[in-house]
Amino acid sequence: MGDDQVFEAMEPMDFDKHPSGIVPIIQNIVSSVNLDCKLNLREIAQKARNTEYNPNRFTAVMMRIKEPKTTALIFASGKMICTGAKTEQQSKLAAKKYARIIKKLGFPAKFKNFKIQNIVGSCDVKFGIRLELLAVSTHGVFASYEPELFPGLIYRMKSPKTVLLVFASGKIVIAGAKVKDDVYAAFENLFPVLTQYRRK
Amino acid sequence: MATFELYRRSTIGMCLTETLDEMVSSGVLSPELAIQVLVQFDKSMTEALESQVRSKVSIKGHLHTYRFCDNVWTFIVQDALLKSEDFAENVGHMKIVACDSKLLTQ
Repeated sequence: MGDDQVFEAMEPMDFDKHPSGIVPIIQNIVSSVNLDCKLNLREIAQKARNTEYNPNRFTAVMMRIKEPKTTALIFASGKMICTGAKTEQQSKLAAKKYARIIKKLGFPAKFKNFKIQNIVGSCDVKFGIRLELLAVSTHGVFASYEPELFPGLIYRMKSPKTVLLVFASGKIVIAGAKVKDDVYAAFENLFPVLTQYRRK
Repeated sequence: MATFELYRRSTIGMCLTETLDEMVSSGVLSPELAIQVLVQFDKSMTEALESQVRSKVSIKGHLHTYRFCDNVWTFIVQDALLKSEDFAENVGHMKIVACDSKLLTQ
Protein backbone atom coordinates (compact mmCIF):
# COMPACT_ATOMS: atom_id res chain seq x y z
CA MET A 1 0.00 0.00 0.00
CA GLY A 2 2.88 2.33 0.77
CA ASP A 3 4.16 2.09 -2.81
CA ASP A 4 0.70 2.94 -4.15
CA GLN A 5 0.63 6.13 -2.15
CA VAL A 6 4.01 7.22 -3.47
CA PHE A 7 2.76 6.51 -6.98
CA GLU A 8 -0.42 8.51 -6.39
CA ALA A 9 1.60 11.37 -4.99
CA MET A 10 3.68 11.53 -8.16
CA GLU A 11 0.62 12.19 -10.30
CA PRO A 12 -0.55 15.80 -10.43
CA MET A 13 -2.88 16.18 -7.46
CA ASP A 14 -6.21 17.95 -7.61
CA PHE A 15 -6.01 20.03 -4.44
CA ASP A 16 -9.64 21.20 -4.83
CA LYS A 17 -10.69 17.60 -4.42
CA HIS A 18 -7.95 16.58 -2.00
CA PRO A 19 -7.07 19.66 0.11
CA SER A 20 -5.39 17.42 2.69
CA GLY A 21 -2.88 16.30 0.06
CA ILE A 22 -3.80 12.68 0.81
CA VAL A 23 -5.73 10.58 -1.68
CA PRO A 24 -7.44 7.53 -0.16
CA ILE A 25 -6.75 4.35 -2.13
CA ILE A 26 -9.79 2.40 -3.25
CA GLN A 27 -9.41 -1.13 -1.89
CA ASN A 28 -12.66 -2.90 -2.73
CA ILE A 29 -15.82 -2.35 -4.72
CA VAL A 30 -18.98 -4.40 -4.25
CA SER A 31 -21.63 -4.41 -6.97
CA SER A 32 -24.87 -6.27 -7.59
CA VAL A 33 -26.74 -7.25 -10.73
CA ASN A 34 -29.80 -9.28 -11.56
CA LEU A 35 -29.30 -11.96 -14.23
CA ASP A 36 -33.09 -12.27 -14.25
CA CYS A 37 -33.37 -16.06 -14.61
CA LYS A 38 -33.54 -19.00 -12.21
CA LEU A 39 -30.19 -20.78 -11.94
CA ASN A 40 -29.26 -24.38 -11.20
CA LEU A 41 -26.35 -23.81 -8.87
CA ARG A 42 -25.15 -27.43 -8.75
CA GLU A 43 -24.91 -27.45 -12.55
CA ILE A 44 -22.99 -24.16 -12.53
CA ALA A 45 -20.60 -25.45 -9.86
CA GLN A 46 -19.96 -28.65 -11.83
CA LYS A 47 -19.54 -27.08 -15.25
CA ALA A 48 -17.73 -23.80 -14.58
CA ARG A 49 -14.15 -23.49 -13.36
CA ASN A 50 -12.97 -22.03 -10.08
CA THR A 51 -16.23 -22.51 -8.25
CA GLU A 52 -17.15 -23.48 -4.72
CA TYR A 53 -20.63 -24.64 -3.78
CA ASN A 54 -21.39 -25.95 -0.33
CA PRO A 55 -25.14 -25.52 0.23
CA ASN A 56 -24.81 -26.71 3.86
CA ARG A 57 -22.76 -23.62 4.59
CA PHE A 58 -23.89 -21.00 2.10
CA THR A 59 -26.63 -21.05 -0.53
CA ALA A 60 -24.62 -19.37 -3.30
CA VAL A 61 -21.97 -20.49 -5.76
CA MET A 62 -18.68 -18.67 -5.23
CA MET A 63 -16.84 -18.12 -8.50
CA ARG A 64 -13.57 -16.33 -9.21
CA ILE A 65 -11.95 -14.92 -12.31
CA LYS A 66 -8.37 -13.72 -12.70
CA GLU A 67 -8.95 -10.59 -14.78
CA PRO A 68 -10.28 -8.39 -13.23
CA LYS A 69 -9.33 -10.32 -10.09
CA THR A 70 -12.73 -10.63 -8.43
CA THR A 71 -15.08 -13.03 -6.66
CA ALA A 72 -18.77 -13.43 -7.47
CA LEU A 73 -21.55 -14.84 -5.33
CA ILE A 74 -24.20 -16.32 -7.58
CA PHE A 75 -27.63 -17.10 -6.12
CA ALA A 76 -30.31 -19.47 -7.43
CA SER A 77 -32.69 -16.52 -7.85
CA GLY A 78 -30.38 -15.11 -10.53
CA LYS A 79 -29.04 -12.31 -8.34
CA MET A 80 -25.28 -11.88 -8.29
CA ILE A 81 -22.80 -9.98 -6.11
CA CYS A 82 -19.37 -9.09 -7.45
CA THR A 83 -16.61 -8.16 -5.00
CA GLY A 84 -12.93 -7.36 -5.05
CA ALA A 85 -12.64 -4.93 -7.97
CA LYS A 86 -10.59 -1.76 -7.55
CA THR A 87 -12.53 0.52 -9.90
CA GLU A 88 -16.21 0.91 -10.87
CA GLN A 89 -15.40 0.03 -14.49
CA GLN A 90 -13.54 -3.13 -13.42
CA SER A 91 -16.45 -4.16 -11.22
CA LYS A 92 -18.87 -3.81 -14.12
CA LEU A 93 -16.54 -5.57 -16.55
CA ALA A 94 -16.12 -8.46 -14.10
CA ALA A 95 -19.89 -8.71 -13.54
CA LYS A 96 -20.37 -8.85 -17.33
CA LYS A 97 -17.77 -11.63 -17.59
CA TYR A 98 -19.58 -13.67 -14.94
CA ALA A 99 -22.90 -13.11 -16.74
CA ARG A 100 -21.25 -14.34 -19.94
CA ILE A 101 -19.99 -17.50 -18.22
CA ILE A 102 -23.52 -18.22 -16.94
CA LYS A 103 -24.89 -17.59 -20.44
CA LYS A 104 -22.35 -19.98 -21.97
CA LEU A 105 -23.60 -22.69 -19.59
CA GLY A 106 -27.00 -22.36 -21.24
CA PHE A 107 -28.93 -20.08 -18.88
CA PRO A 108 -30.79 -17.11 -20.43
CA ALA A 109 -28.90 -14.61 -18.29
CA LYS A 110 -29.63 -10.91 -18.71
CA PHE A 111 -27.85 -7.97 -17.08
CA LYS A 112 -30.41 -5.94 -15.14
CA ASN A 113 -30.03 -3.20 -12.54
CA PHE A 114 -26.26 -3.20 -12.22
CA LYS A 115 -25.42 -1.10 -9.19
CA ILE A 116 -22.33 -0.27 -7.17
CA GLN A 117 -23.30 -1.05 -3.58
CA ASN A 118 -20.19 -0.23 -1.59
CA ILE A 119 -16.80 1.36 -2.11
CA VAL A 120 -14.08 0.95 0.48
CA GLY A 121 -10.97 3.09 0.62
CA SER A 122 -8.10 3.50 3.03
CA CYS A 123 -5.24 5.85 3.74
CA ASP A 124 -2.64 6.84 6.29
CA VAL A 125 -2.50 10.40 7.70
CA LYS A 126 1.03 9.63 9.01
CA PHE A 127 0.39 10.91 12.53
CA GLY A 128 -1.06 9.33 15.64
CA ILE A 129 -4.60 10.21 16.71
CA ARG A 130 -5.93 10.59 20.25
CA LEU A 131 -9.10 8.58 19.80
CA GLU A 132 -10.08 8.86 23.47
CA LEU A 133 -10.28 12.68 23.15
CA LEU A 134 -11.97 12.64 19.75
CA ALA A 135 -14.65 10.32 21.14
CA VAL A 136 -15.68 12.73 23.93
CA SER A 137 -15.48 15.90 21.79
CA THR A 138 -18.35 17.59 19.94
CA HIS A 139 -17.89 14.87 17.31
CA GLY A 140 -18.79 12.30 19.94
CA VAL A 141 -22.36 12.08 18.63
CA PHE A 142 -21.03 10.54 15.42
CA ALA A 143 -18.22 8.60 17.01
CA SER A 144 -18.23 5.36 18.92
CA TYR A 145 -15.02 4.25 20.57
CA GLU A 146 -15.05 1.01 22.57
CA PRO A 147 -11.42 -0.12 22.73
CA GLU A 148 -12.44 -3.27 24.58
CA LEU A 149 -14.62 -4.28 21.64
CA PHE A 150 -12.65 -2.88 18.69
CA PRO A 151 -9.41 -0.89 18.66
CA GLY A 152 -10.64 1.65 16.10
CA LEU A 153 -12.99 4.59 16.49
CA ILE A 154 -16.14 4.21 14.39
CA TYR A 155 -17.27 7.51 12.89
CA ARG A 156 -20.72 7.47 11.26
CA MET A 157 -20.72 10.49 8.98
CA LYS A 158 -24.11 11.94 8.01
CA SER A 159 -23.04 13.51 4.73
CA PRO A 160 -21.81 11.85 2.66
CA LYS A 161 -23.40 8.86 4.40
CA THR A 162 -20.33 6.77 5.15
CA VAL A 163 -18.63 5.01 8.02
CA LEU A 164 -14.99 5.74 8.83
CA LEU A 165 -12.77 3.57 10.98
CA VAL A 166 -10.08 5.68 12.61
CA PHE A 167 -7.13 3.95 14.25
CA ALA A 168 -4.73 5.43 16.80
CA SER A 169 -1.87 4.80 14.36
CA GLY A 170 -3.36 7.27 11.87
CA LYS A 171 -4.61 4.61 9.48
CA ILE A 172 -8.13 5.32 8.20
CA VAL A 173 -10.69 3.09 6.48
CA ILE A 174 -13.64 4.69 4.66
CA ALA A 175 -16.60 2.41 3.85
CA GLY A 176 -20.21 2.58 2.78
CA ALA A 177 -19.82 4.99 -0.13
CA LYS A 178 -21.70 4.41 -3.38
CA VAL A 179 -19.43 6.64 -5.48
CA LYS A 180 -15.68 7.16 -5.35
CA ASP A 181 -15.99 10.91 -4.74
CA ASP A 182 -17.93 10.22 -1.53
CA VAL A 183 -14.91 8.29 -0.21
CA TYR A 184 -12.74 11.32 -0.94
CA ALA A 185 -15.30 13.83 0.41
CA ALA A 186 -15.78 11.83 3.63
CA PHE A 187 -12.06 11.74 4.24
CA GLU A 188 -11.63 15.47 3.55
CA ASN A 189 -14.51 16.23 5.95
CA LEU A 190 -12.85 14.30 8.73
CA PHE A 191 -9.23 15.30 8.07
CA PRO A 192 -9.34 18.70 9.87
CA VAL A 193 -10.83 16.96 12.92
CA LEU A 194 -8.04 14.39 12.86
CA THR A 195 -5.34 17.09 12.80
CA GLN A 196 -7.04 18.63 15.84
CA TYR A 197 -6.58 15.39 17.83
CA ARG A 198 -3.08 14.69 16.60
CA ARG A 199 -0.92 12.83 19.13
CA LYS A 200 1.96 15.03 20.22
CA MET B 1 -19.93 -48.14 6.30
CA ALA B 2 -20.24 -46.05 3.18
CA THR B 3 -17.39 -46.20 0.69
CA PHE B 4 -15.85 -44.12 -2.06
CA GLU B 5 -15.69 -45.62 -5.52
CA LEU B 6 -12.81 -43.27 -6.16
CA TYR B 7 -10.11 -45.94 -6.34
CA ARG B 8 -11.84 -48.09 -8.97
CA ARG B 9 -10.27 -45.88 -11.63
CA SER B 10 -6.76 -46.60 -10.34
CA THR B 11 -4.62 -49.20 -12.17
CA ILE B 12 -5.29 -51.84 -9.54
CA GLY B 13 -9.01 -51.05 -9.54
CA MET B 14 -9.25 -51.17 -13.35
CA CYS B 15 -7.42 -54.51 -13.42
CA LEU B 16 -9.77 -55.95 -10.81
CA THR B 17 -12.82 -54.71 -12.70
CA GLU B 18 -11.49 -56.19 -15.95
CA THR B 19 -10.83 -59.57 -14.33
CA LEU B 20 -14.26 -59.63 -12.68
CA ASP B 21 -15.87 -58.74 -16.03
CA GLU B 22 -14.11 -61.65 -17.68
CA MET B 23 -15.12 -64.04 -14.92
CA VAL B 24 -18.74 -62.90 -15.07
CA SER B 25 -18.93 -63.20 -18.87
CA SER B 26 -17.39 -66.68 -18.79
CA GLY B 27 -19.87 -67.71 -16.12
CA VAL B 28 -17.34 -68.42 -13.35
CA LEU B 29 -18.74 -65.67 -11.15
CA SER B 30 -22.23 -64.31 -10.60
CA PRO B 31 -22.68 -60.56 -11.25
CA GLU B 32 -23.90 -60.08 -7.66
CA LEU B 33 -20.73 -61.59 -6.25
CA ALA B 34 -18.60 -59.42 -8.59
CA ILE B 35 -20.27 -56.28 -7.27
CA GLN B 36 -19.72 -57.48 -3.71
CA VAL B 37 -16.03 -57.91 -4.50
CA LEU B 38 -15.85 -54.35 -5.84
CA VAL B 39 -17.51 -52.96 -2.72
CA GLN B 40 -15.03 -54.90 -0.58
CA PHE B 41 -12.25 -53.44 -2.75
CA ASP B 42 -13.52 -49.90 -2.00
CA LYS B 43 -13.48 -50.66 1.73
CA SER B 44 -10.09 -52.32 1.67
CA MET B 45 -8.51 -49.48 -0.31
CA THR B 46 -9.74 -46.91 2.20
CA GLU B 47 -8.54 -49.02 5.12
CA ALA B 48 -5.18 -49.78 3.55
CA LEU B 49 -4.48 -46.15 2.70
CA GLU B 50 -5.39 -45.18 6.23
CA SER B 51 -3.47 -47.82 8.14
CA GLN B 52 -0.66 -49.13 5.94
CA VAL B 53 0.60 -46.27 3.80
CA ARG B 54 3.17 -44.20 5.63
CA SER B 55 4.87 -42.40 2.76
CA LYS B 56 4.08 -38.78 2.04
CA VAL B 57 4.21 -36.92 -1.25
CA SER B 58 4.39 -33.18 -1.62
CA ILE B 59 2.92 -31.46 -4.67
CA LYS B 60 4.00 -28.01 -5.69
CA GLY B 61 2.76 -26.22 -8.78
CA HIS B 62 0.50 -23.62 -10.29
CA LEU B 63 -3.20 -23.95 -9.48
CA HIS B 64 -5.02 -23.66 -12.79
CA THR B 65 -8.55 -24.57 -11.75
CA TYR B 66 -10.32 -25.49 -8.56
CA ARG B 67 -13.81 -26.66 -7.78
CA PHE B 68 -15.72 -27.65 -4.68
CA CYS B 69 -19.05 -29.31 -5.27
CA ASP B 70 -20.87 -32.12 -3.47
CA ASN B 71 -18.09 -32.27 -0.87
CA VAL B 72 -15.46 -33.10 -3.49
CA TRP B 73 -12.49 -30.85 -4.17
CA THR B 74 -11.07 -30.96 -7.69
CA PHE B 75 -7.81 -29.24 -8.52
CA ILE B 76 -5.94 -28.98 -11.80
CA VAL B 77 -2.32 -28.16 -11.14
CA GLN B 78 0.06 -27.07 -13.90
CA ASP B 79 3.81 -27.71 -13.95
CA ALA B 80 3.64 -29.70 -10.76
CA LEU B 81 6.65 -31.05 -8.93
CA LEU B 82 5.88 -34.25 -7.07
CA LYS B 83 8.33 -35.03 -4.33
CA SER B 84 8.67 -37.85 -1.85
CA GLU B 85 11.62 -39.32 0.04
CA ASP B 86 13.01 -41.31 -2.85
CA PHE B 87 11.81 -39.56 -6.00
CA ALA B 88 10.96 -36.23 -7.57
CA GLU B 89 9.11 -35.80 -10.83
CA ASN B 90 7.76 -32.94 -12.92
CA VAL B 91 4.40 -33.22 -14.66
CA GLY B 92 2.77 -30.72 -17.03
CA HIS B 93 -0.76 -31.19 -15.76
CA MET B 94 -2.20 -33.09 -12.86
CA LYS B 95 -5.69 -33.50 -11.51
CA ILE B 96 -6.35 -33.98 -7.83
CA VAL B 97 -9.70 -35.29 -6.65
CA ALA B 98 -10.15 -35.21 -2.90
CA CYS B 99 -13.07 -36.40 -0.77
CA ASP B 100 -13.66 -35.80 2.91
CA SER B 101 -13.01 -39.07 4.74
CA LYS B 102 -15.15 -37.83 7.64
CA LEU B 103 -18.18 -38.43 5.42
CA LEU B 104 -17.48 -42.19 5.57
CA THR B 105 -17.98 -42.44 9.31
CA GLN B 106 -21.33 -40.62 9.26
